[in-house]
Amino acid sequence: MATMLKPRDEADTARVLSWAVAERKSLEVVGAGSKRAVGRPVQTEHVLNMTGLAGVSLYEPGELVFSAAAGTLLNDVEAALEEHAQQLAFEPPNLSRFLGTGHKPPTLGGTVAANMSGPRRIAAGAARDHVLGLRAVTGRAETVRVGGRVMKNVTGYDLCKLLTGSWGTLAVLTEVTVKVLPRPEAEATVIVTGQSADEAVRAMSAALASSVSVSGAAHIPAVLAARSAVSAVTMAASSVTALRIEGFRASVRARRETLLAELKPFGPLETLDGRTSARLWGEIRDVSLLPADGDNVVWRLSTIASKGPDVVRNVSIGEDAEALYDWGGGLVWLVQPSPGDGGAEAIRSVLERTGGHATLMRAPPSTRGAVSVFEPQPEPLASLTRRLKAAYDPHAILNPGRMYAGV
Amino acid sequence: MLKMPDIDKKVLSRRGDIVAALAGMLPSDSLIWHETEMRVFQSDGLSAYRQMPMVVVLPKTTEQVANVLRYCHQNSIRVVPRGAGTSLSGGALPLADAVVVGMTKFNRILEIDYDNRCVVAQPGVTNLAISDAVGERSFYYAPDPSSQIACTIGGNVAENSGGVHCLKYGLTTNNVLGVELVLINGEVLRLGGKHLDAEAYDLLGLLVGSEGLLGIVTEVTVRILRRPETARAMLLGFASSRAAGDCVGAIIAQGIIPAGMEMMDRPAIHAAEAFVRAGYPLDVEALLIVEIDGPGVEVDALLSRVLEIAENHGAVHSRASASEEERALLWAGRKAAFPAVGRISPDYYCVDGTIPRAQLSHVLEQMAGLSKKYGLGLANVFHAGDGNLHPLILYDANKADELEKAERFGADILKLCVKVGGVLTGEHGVGVEKRDLMPVMFSEAELNQQQRVKCAFDARSLLNPGKMFPTLHRCAELGRMHIHRGQVPFPDIPRF
Amino acid sequence: MQTRFTAKQLSDPDVAHCEKILRSCVHCGFCTATCPTYVLLGDELDGPRGRINLIKDMLENDRPATDEVVTHVDRCLSCLSCMTTCPSGVNYMHLVDHARAHIERTYRRTFEDRMMRALIAFVLPRRRLFALSLAPARLMRPFLPVLRRIPGLDRLAAMLALVPRRRGGSRPSMRAGTTLAGEGFPAGRVIVMQGCVQPALNPDIMRATVDMLVRHGHEVVIARGEGCCGALAHHLGRKEEALRAARRMIDTWLGEVKRAGVDAVIVTASGCGTTIKDYAHMLREDPEYAGKAERVRALAKDVHEFLEERGFGPTARETGLRVAYHAACSMQHGQKIRKAPRALLEVAGFEVVDVPEGHICCGSAGSYNILQPEIAGALKERKIANIERVKPDLIATGNIGCMTQIASATSIPVVHTVELLNWASGGEMPPVLRRGLASLEQGAEKSTAQVRESAAAAG
Repeated sequence: MATMLKPRDEADTARVLSWAVAERKSLEVVGAGSKRAVGRPVQTEHVLNMTGLAGVSLYEPGELVFSAAAGTLLNDVEAALEEHAQQLAFEPPNLSRFLGTGHKPPTLGGTVAANMSGPRRIAAGAARDHVLGLRAVTGRAETVRVGGRVMKNVTGYDLCKLLTGSWGTLAVLTEVTVKVLPRPEAEATVIVTGQSADEAVRAMSAALASSVSVSGAAHIPAVLAARSAVSAVTMAASSVTALRIEGFRASVRARRETLLAELKPFGPLETLDGRTSARLWGEIRDVSLLPADGDNVVWRLSTIASKGPDVVRNVSIGEDAEALYDWGGGLVWLVQPSPGDGGAEAIRSVLERTGGHATLMRAPPSTRGAVSVFEPQPEPLASLTRRLKAAYDPHAILNPGRMYAGV
Repeated sequence: MLKMPDIDKKVLSRRGDIVAALAGMLPSDSLIWHETEMRVFQSDGLSAYRQMPMVVVLPKTTEQVANVLRYCHQNSIRVVPRGAGTSLSGGALPLADAVVVGMTKFNRILEIDYDNRCVVAQPGVTNLAISDAVGERSFYYAPDPSSQIACTIGGNVAENSGGVHCLKYGLTTNNVLGVELVLINGEVLRLGGKHLDAEAYDLLGLLVGSEGLLGIVTEVTVRILRRPETARAMLLGFASSRAAGDCVGAIIAQGIIPAGMEMMDRPAIHAAEAFVRAGYPLDVEALLIVEIDGPGVEVDALLSRVLEIAENHGAVHSRASASEEERALLWAGRKAAFPAVGRISPDYYCVDGTIPRAQLSHVLEQMAGLSKKYGLGLANVFHAGDGNLHPLILYDANKADELEKAERFGADILKLCVKVGGVLTGEHGVGVEKRDLMPVMFSEAELNQQQRVKCAFDARSLLNPGKMFPTLHRCAELGRMHIHRGQVPFPDIPRF
Repeated sequence: MQTRFTAKQLSDPDVAHCEKILRSCVHCGFCTATCPTYVLLGDELDGPRGRINLIKDMLENDRPATDEVVTHVDRCLSCLSCMTTCPSGVNYMHLVDHARAHIERTYRRTFEDRMMRALIAFVLPRRRLFALSLAPARLMRPFLPVLRRIPGLDRLAAMLALVPRRRGGSRPSMRAGTTLAGEGFPAGRVIVMQGCVQPALNPDIMRATVDMLVRHGHEVVIARGEGCCGALAHHLGRKEEALRAARRMIDTWLGEVKRAGVDAVIVTASGCGTTIKDYAHMLREDPEYAGKAERVRALAKDVHEFLEERGFGPTARETGLRVAYHAACSMQHGQKIRKAPRALLEVAGFEVVDVPEGHICCGSAGSYNILQPEIAGALKERKIANIERVKPDLIATGNIGCMTQIASATSIPVVHTVELLNWASGGEMPPVLRRGLASLEQGAEKSTAQVRESAAAAG
């Protein structure tokens, strides 16, 4: 049983890392633990629990900037922002239910460390596009500040981008500063029912190319749609292609009409009001429509949107591919039966041809240990990755092997 | 005086061989080695600094770039990448012993993919040319630095360029999907592509804004957006910059994120108006240009709200554009404001810093004081929406000490920016211009860590040396682990 | 920009003027974006900013021109697109003109180069000589493919290739020393400049201009004593020759003014217009002619300018023809006349479309298409492709050089704007249209009939 270390603040964190570096003790870095089971299995003697660093440190709504300690729960962040009618535009998901780690909300730090973004990523950008600054302790036990608190900042290398999505392998985040944006006054969703994935991608592409300003574009095949808690979706008894619009009330009304006209050639249409829309997108965001953990594995593929359905066709083992398409088709949550390599080889070879990458998001530890969880990198890229790891964490103290062997 | 790295005399002594070797890898119109011809490459947009390079190459293919870099790497020859040479921070300033690799012959658009809303272009294509190429289907490429008519997309990637519309649409880094990159040792790799997000470390995000220090980009994939249904711009004149700044804060506080929100002070307004004749009011202290875009019904409603807010903050002048032509004209003055200042002063020095917007009035007051102290005029252009400030210091390069005074004035402004919670550079990059101010913003540990990142890409510091960082540590030295001073290793697990 | 000229150097008024121009450049680089040679070649040396630097270096150091400087300055089209783009107001035109004169003075060109330039400078400005040279030039056409391959003769081949296949124009040119009375209410007295190559290449332009002006009440003078406006010599750097030509024109025109007063000197070739409007600057150091040049500058008007000022009105004929308006560089950048030609064509009942990349030169640029055939050819191809993209019925422009260049590579009829305006206001149909577009004429007459019908129906 690994010992748990739970620092109270940044100084404590630095002390732990100094000790770990000096004594060559590796650490599993954990927030609320919602994504603990993602990645190659990490074996360490000690666990560094960052939830002790919690609390808002700066919030200036008029400046669109918000800072909080890395261990602050996302729910608390969102509650603070809601008071001023603002939000994290990248719509971070809560994957704890999907991943079977309970109902705990993730931490802000964990969200940033995994670059977790929701459906609105396609319009507003990913987490990495909203991180303005970070404080962290590197694997050299040095406390550093990267970025700042302003949007326009090109001073030095953009290390915020390097640390965001690094899954705790380069540094331990202690404070996160994000850009926040106004929460839209209203939202609505137009759904097209009964489309195949190919038709859906064409419809979504048309919607995204129109001047309507779509902030969510997803396709839910019938087998997944059946699991929705939104009655309009289950009652359709077919696949559902969903397009979301957000903004000022009058604007949403007008754009809804335009979108309906735009989508008319694609099939039967329905509109979902604000509350229903929000519920549906919550399901898409948190991946709740996928089957529960069982004898299946789930891959998260990022590929060229127009090629999404092709990729799924070419990699799927078995007849009924359970695949949730988000980001207009460019993000695919793919369920595969688990025996063997869980489809890893097929996925890797198809993506090499098409372009894109896949991450194994949910699988038993045996599978996670046997296949490449993160997309394998060709040589110049792989050695660059290793050199950057060495620059930050030369003794592989932090989450060793979480992403790749030796990283 | 600006200290550049010591010249490698051994390399210079072999100039003849080097030129011959490069001639063997490149077509004849890709090699420039006569002194008179090299002279036009000795400076970029920061024209106060000039340095003759050793030789200039203008390759046409990725293979040629890789061959040149591999050769330079093998022979420890320094390389300075160059786009259109419009950098305002000296990013393309040559070194006497360096090969300047100009990417302007990479000037074709390779693919337009409307289904996936992206464009693949060579790095020498200008920013505006990308928007022009997709204009017939009402698409455009959103980041619009004011030099967009001339600056290249490759240069934009190097500097993480912004522009007037980045408040709503993001900077270059938020709009680039992928690149093909050549490392200093000649290896070619691809980062990103038409898909979203990185597979592991966000090396693409790291590369954007790295100012030519990590590699040379040979292809860029960018996101294109559908032009909003309508866009209208509004001019708002105020009797004081404080009033204008407060108005900006109020607009944002009401949940309105304009497509662009710019501010100019009196001298800037006059210079821009002389060039463009857009009808800027000449009797106000501060002018805001606010642009709202989106569906027609939304634009008109928001514009009325903005007008209301402006009136509540004492706007003395207001005018909304009534046509696309008028909207373009209103922006043309702002976009040409820097060089238009060339009409009222022989030379100008453009400073680029970012501050929290609420600090604007304070910073403007302080700058007015500095202007008096140094005896140099000042015109201000400000990305009001995101706090990025462009003071234009007016001077005369033909007068002995004015350049130096202008630089000290600029340095004082930047230190002030950092002091009030901002940063040294918002979009023009560090280059040589702000290099020596980096310690104002970063601790030694932080600067070392940034250099370690550089070492992962270019261990011999051959790419664009003398830029971005004031002192160079050798990579081996940085790689060695050292325990913090004063910290004693302790075997006991820390308890809290 | 910082400059380093000595007081002695600055005592030369030309150098002093250049220094002022150089100081106004802030090295921003915007100009490169719209420079045709930079857009083609992607080399700073072949863009305005690079050329400014080369010229600055040469003048500051009192150096004779070198091979490199000459190569890059020779490649400059003098299209002046850079001046339109420059936010700092750098007068690139005067700088490059001075550089050309400096090159001519200090640089020894190759034999072939000198021969070509001498040929151009001697033949083209002399109306009768040029006209006589066209027939033998046409006979050489079959030999062009061979000539092109002989080193040193490629430029001669380029020049011969520009000679139009058939005799230009359908009527003999109007004679110098003629005055035509205006019809109807007198609207004033104007001189219409003849030009040097225009009368031989396309006398229809002059004919249409004169017909139109006469019909609108103007007394039109075709002055005796006009030579070449001097633009050709000026752009070859032959400064004294250019000034002599300018003085001659000024004397001729002011002679007419003295004789019976003149309201305007109308120029139908925008390339000439730019130079004529620059006479005052060119002759500013000449105490005898400075004032006269200024008077001429006030009188000189491009035909579009003149018609717009006089309020050319709507016409009865809606031809329904789709016209691509090609804005000559000298028109849009040199004289900054941008709206008038389009507006006039629209008022005349044509559907006017702009040419994509319209700010980029067609490659004619005076004698550039002879001296730099490769670049001129590439620009011509690009221009034709852009024009054909908008699928026009015809192409209209206001400069003979462009007309010749564009007509040499497309089958779409090319006319001078004034020919269309003349036709629309009651004059005859441009011959080139009649030849190539019999069907279009039917279509045009059909639509005229439709207009009449609907007018009758509205009654």
